[in-house]
Amino acid sequence: MVGKATCVIAAAVTVFAVTVFSGSTANAASAEANYKFYCSQCHGLEGKGDGPNATKSQPVSPRNHTSATEMAKLTDQDIVNVIKGGGAATSKSTMMPPFGKTLADGEVTALKDYLRKLCKCKGN
Amino acid sequence: MKGVSFLRLAAISAFAAGIAFAGTSHAGVAEGKKIFDSKNCGGCHQVAGPAKEKSIEDQLAKKAPELWYAGSKFKKEFLEKWLKDPKPIRPMEYYSLTKKNAGNHPKLDGKNADEVADYLMSLTSADAKKAGIAPKGGPQGRIIFEKKQGCYGCHEVSKGGSTVGGLTGPTMIGIGDRLQPDWIYAYLTNPKVFKPVKDMPTYEGVLSESDLKILAEYVSSLK
Repeated sequence: MVGKATCVIAAAVTVFAVTVFSGSTANAASAEANYKFYCSQCHGLEGKGDGPNATKSQPVSPRNHTSATEMAKLTDQDIVNVIKGGGAATSKSTMMPPFGKTLADGEVTALKDYLRKLCKCKGN
Repeated sequence: MKGVSFLRLAAISAFAAGIAFAGTSHAGVAEGKKIFDSKNCGGCHQVAGPAKEKSIEDQLAKKAPELWYAGSKFKKEFLEKWLKDPKPIRPMEYYSLTKKNAGNHPKLDGKNADEVADYLMSLTSADAKKAGIAPKGGPQGRIIFEKKQGCYGCHEVSKGGSTVGGLTGPTMIGIGDRLQPDWIYAYLTNPKVFKPVKDMPTYEGVLSESDLKILAEYVSSLK
């Protein structure tokens, strides 16, 4: 009995901890939903770097995520770092904002996988 | 005794008159609510808090900005003016990446606009705390806004007489006339209370408290 109760309490604490400390209070979304909600503003719905924020007045152009040539230059860790810490995390433009306090770690990893599907490439 | 009763009566009368007088300054609230309801503004704008969105789908289902904390967010003079002559605040349709804002928000005539503004100003949030933020331009705030973070990547600003920046966020042009400085700070430091799911990254915990304060001061100075 004691063992069972302890187990239930431990499970409840784990659920609570995951909810509170995951970095996101919103329900976790699929990588595609996250991409189209957050990333597509600049990178476009298909990832071609042509979202509504890619105006002529911007100092840099958003990366084309469908370009295997460009995306293969980034390691998986580079991509995770950029999503979480913004452009500054890899000495790139701060026009790429940080999403580390917006998305849970699992969502960031799933986004990295989604980007690899868009470019049909692997990191060097 | 008679004198005491008279004094008491006078005090009660003065108190009642005070209530009546105070009441007239909020006369527009009830009228404004009637107009708001009769025009079905609530069909697009949420006026009862707290925020309920839990997923991206919930947020995308919303047709327009929530107004349940409008009185903590907006400046009354702005609402009165804007309701009479609404101009797009967001270059794009609300949370759309494909449709430009058509600028077709219904407009109200003078008295109705003022009363709806009174009503909206009565909708406040205890989470929009007084923080003593005052508009302050200058290089410190500009560096955070333009360099440390690329805020204008999503929010257009006026620079050297030209409009520059992105289109998905609300415009920063005229934001100093539009929003209360303390609310800008509250939104930057505690965004999830107001918008649990939003397409703007959370900067609380990314920028220091000091930087967030300087940023709120800078943003509230933008014209």
